[in-house]
Amino acid sequence: MPSLSYNTAARIASRELRSSPGKFTFVVLSVAIGVAALTGVRGFSASFRSMLTLRARSIMAGDLSARTSQVPSASQQAALAQIAKEGTAATQVTEFSSMASSPTSLDPLLVSIKAVDPAEYPFYGSVDLAPTQPIAQALTPTTVAVGDDLLIRLHLKLGDSLKLGNAVYRITATVINEPDRLGGSFAAGPRVLMSDAALDRAGLMAFGSRASRRYLFKMPQSKPGQASSDQAVAALKARLETLFPEALITDYREANPALTRGLDNATGLLSLMSLVALVLGAVGVAMAMRSHLQQRLDSIAIMKSLGARSGHVIRIYVIQTLLLGLAGGLLGVLLGLGVQLVFPLFIGKLLGITPGFHVDLNATAIGLGAGLLTTLLFTLPPLLDIRNVRPILILRRAVEVSDDPFTTRLFRKLRASVAQIGAMALILAGLIFLATRVSDSAQIGWLFAAGLVIILLVLLGMSWLTLRLLRLFLSRTRLGLPSVLRHGLANLYRPGNPSAALLAALGLGVMQIMTVYFVQQAVVRELSVSIANNIPNIFLVDIATAEVEPIRKLLLAQPEVHGQPELIPVVGGRLTAINGKADDRPATDTGSDRPRQRLTRLRNVNLTWAPDPAAPPPGAQVVQGKWWTAQQAADGATHPILAIEQTVATRLRVHPGDTLTFGVQDTTFTATIAAIYVSDSQHTYSRAEYVLPEPELRNLSVIWYGGVHCDPAQTTALERTLYAAYPTVTVINVAATLEVIRQVILQITYVIQFLAGFSIFAGIVILASSIAGTRYRRIREVVVLKTLGATRPRIAAIFSIEFAVLGLIAATVGVIFANIVSRLVLTRALKIDYHFQPGLTLFALGLTALLTIAAGWLASHRILGQKPLEVLREE
Amino acid sequence: MPEATTAPAASMIAVEALRKSLRTGSTTVDILKGIDFTIAPGEFVAIMGASGSGKSTLLGLLAGLDNPTSGNVSLNGVAISYLAEDKLAQLRGRTIGFVFQSYQLIPTLTALENVLLPYELNDESGDRKAGLTRARDLLTSVGLSARMDHYPVQLSGGEQQRVALARAFILRPPIVLADEPTGNLDTANGQHILDLLLSLNSREGTTLVLVTHDPALAAHASRRIVLRDGLVISDERTQAS
Repeated sequence: MPSLSYNTAARIASRELRSSPGKFTFVVLSVAIGVAALTGVRGFSASFRSMLTLRARSIMAGDLSARTSQVPSASQQAALAQIAKEGTAATQVTEFSSMASSPTSLDPLLVSIKAVDPAEYPFYGSVDLAPTQPIAQALTPTTVAVGDDLLIRLHLKLGDSLKLGNAVYRITATVINEPDRLGGSFAAGPRVLMSDAALDRAGLMAFGSRASRRYLFKMPQSKPGQASSDQAVAALKARLETLFPEALITDYREANPALTRGLDNATGLLSLMSLVALVLGAVGVAMAMRSHLQQRLDSIAIMKSLGARSGHVIRIYVIQTLLLGLAGGLLGVLLGLGVQLVFPLFIGKLLGITPGFHVDLNATAIGLGAGLLTTLLFTLPPLLDIRNVRPILILRRAVEVSDDPFTTRLFRKLRASVAQIGAMALILAGLIFLATRVSDSAQIGWLFAAGLVIILLVLLGMSWLTLRLLRLFLSRTRLGLPSVLRHGLANLYRPGNPSAALLAALGLGVMQIMTVYFVQQAVVRELSVSIANNIPNIFLVDIATAEVEPIRKLLLAQPEVHGQPELIPVVGGRLTAINGKADDRPATDTGSDRPRQRLTRLRNVNLTWAPDPAAPPPGAQVVQGKWWTAQQAADGATHPILAIEQTVATRLRVHPGDTLTFGVQDTTFTATIAAIYVSDSQHTYSRAEYVLPEPELRNLSVIWYGGVHCDPAQTTALERTLYAAYPTVTVINVAATLEVIRQVILQITYVIQFLAGFSIFAGIVILASSIAGTRYRRIREVVVLKTLGATRPRIAAIFSIEFAVLGLIAATVGVIFANIVSRLVLTRALKIDYHFQPGLTLFALGLTALLTIAAGWLASHRILGQKPLEVLREE
Repeated sequence: MPEATTAPAASMIAVEALRKSLRTGSTTVDILKGIDFTIAPGEFVAIMGASGSGKSTLLGLLAGLDNPTSGNVSLNGVAISYLAEDKLAQLRGRTIGFVFQSYQLIPTLTALENVLLPYELNDESGDRKAGLTRARDLLTSVGLSARMDHYPVQLSGGEQQRVALARAFILRPPIVLADEPTGNLDTANGQHILDLLLSLNSREGTTLVLVTHDPALAAHASRRIVLRDGLVISDERTQAS
């Protein structure tokens, strides 16, 4: 069988492309903007995220930390050596309390010792010393760095000596900030920072010493300048958990819940934006190609009359589609790279940081592939329509309308649309594939595709229904309406005008844009709360009950203190049984009995009570069970109950209704778990793990901990005031660490806002070009109207009515769905509260209508200026 | 769907009880109400009638561009009315050359490429060179040797119709169907096109069916079939001028 060669098909296809570049610019731009948004959002967020996670790692000073109180066994040592051999660096941080004294004074002071290997520690971030110097220089076998409070309490100064155990050390610096201060222990006493070699000299680490060991791990970089991936970190974490069953293994993401939540929400939102960009691009392509093929009907009919089979013609347009997809994809990738290149400069100026630019090949390939695939997939239905183009079109344009019953027509249409239905299935499969690649999750891919299909079907149905109702209204009121309005409304039913499809596309676009906006706003609001100016950054340890109120007064009197100080009571105790099962066997290091060892590790516990007798402490939110009432709290002494923090509950494998037995001082009591809660990491209470009603802990000896927010620049002044007034109270300053967290979260909000803005802009351009794509159908109409004497303002008014109705219907449908989808995404996926915003919703409605009119005008103004004869001559 | 049947090849075109109705909304318009005729090989037939008489619809059915409501059309012995779309396209490409009132050239192809297109779509020999030579010869014979690489938009109406004429004859089709070929041209250009059409027709020995409402044009035909309200009201052989 003779066949149109690919060469000839390609020639015809490319000739058509070159013949009217302006027309094809819309298609190319639609693809390009979709791909650019995808590449830009993915690529930029990937590089920015890796930079942010690098900073987040500084809060832990490593990728992972393993905290244990036991000396590693021989087998554990061998496994650690194997991990090191694989490229993961490990360093040990030893923390314990001991007595220190000045050689000239006999008064010893309880100090909090931290011994590190200065050649390795910290893997991320830096230790700030005064005077400024590298940690390796400050910490030698004979020197130490100490907290400012130690100097005050022991009346020492830099250069003086400090006695620890059997050795005397020279103080070379004061410690201003340690990157992992939040993750370290909040032991009482001023800080003494020393090297492992110096610790050996002290002779304090005799066998059986109660020291806490933290192993910090740094995994090999996945790429130069980039930290290891979360998957690699998670894999090592799982390995370490098996290796050190008794240890508490945490990765950098767990170092600060606010930061983790910020990063998680940002990742979720960025995935959402990438998917939205993808679908918006696809919508643009589908609308543009549909409009393009509509204009090619004559050429297709001519070719068919000359003997071309449908396959020949489809071949020409498939090649053309691929060329358009490729051009749009390449342009989009370039634009996306441009976004990645330009935005760091912009944000660098704004935030004083510059993420390194690198081409993310994965994002680029996905962008290009998505561009080609969506172009091809979404062009399939209009391409398959080529088979239905009858060559008789060149002789007669009559439209045959059937008056058969609806069901007969439906079945006939379904029978004739087998290929289209097949194409739809193919599009769906393609979408699932793309969404899976973009979101890196098959589940999200399926959910997204299924959700999209449902929404699209509902949108099409609603669009169809609205148009039917409008038509009914029009037929009832027809001649009673002003002619401009009548004509504008009638245009919605112009033969060949894909009003329902355009409405669905616009509605989908508005829905996606508004969803991105709503979700972005909620995420930014949530993040802003997490960096509010009242998070405690100065902690006070070891406050006696009698000192609580005077300290509160003192703190409130300081101008650098913001907000109310939070002081929490702590009763030290031991967890001795879970659900009545006591565990008094000694812990082993064989790793043979993990649950028992976990229990052993958690034996030493701190119990507290909340300030309000019948409500969770500040910043805590119940996730399981129910908080107690005032009455239940009052009955606490006879029917003990408690609430437990979620991560602890998970480790202990307990649920509401289970019982925990505590040995506190000289008494033992068993309490039933009433509630499990999560804390927001923004309150002093966030460090509490077991909350009980006050009556249960009454009459026990209590130590208080405190937290207060101080102006970060004034922390030293506050520390000195506190040392002077309450020398026995330990002051721990985490302002510098919190500042890192604050900055990272602030950067996340900027990135989210920028990328959301970019996605929204891309969406608007794509939708505008979809509207513009319909303008060729108007040319003849304008010409006829002008010939009959219609003025430009009159024609513009007719079009405005058409566009405004389209925009309003699309916006109404889109905004309703945006609220539904935002609510689902926020409450189900991101666990953030959803609030309906009527003002914003109305504003979006109005803005969409205005933008639709503006886009329609912009695309039609040249048509309005067209001389009738030019068009009529071409007919 | 009825299978294609083979009619006696004595007629190049055979039309049997041909009806075509169009449904628009709740009304059905009968455009052709039952037409029968045959056209012998090499015959030059003019189909005449006033606007709305069904001429163009008949032409569309003769070319297999559309399906009849009932009845049948056979081309060179092959019943075409119920052939599958692609088979029909193949048959049409090899059997019929078209000349339309509004030229119907592909705007993005040059004159030479437009003429070559049916060859590229339908030729089985794969000898593109032969097709090119034939296309150039035909364009030269219609006086467009200097305009071969021009696009339709760069050509005058008369020149575009000459390209369409060359295209119609490229595959040496046994039948050429012309729909008001001079309808968009001035008198001089119209006459020139008609002369070319007739000379090509006689040189290639094709069966020519010309649809027109212009008696002067129809006067050149050896037979005139006149339609009115979807029926043949006269079918007479004449001494062509």
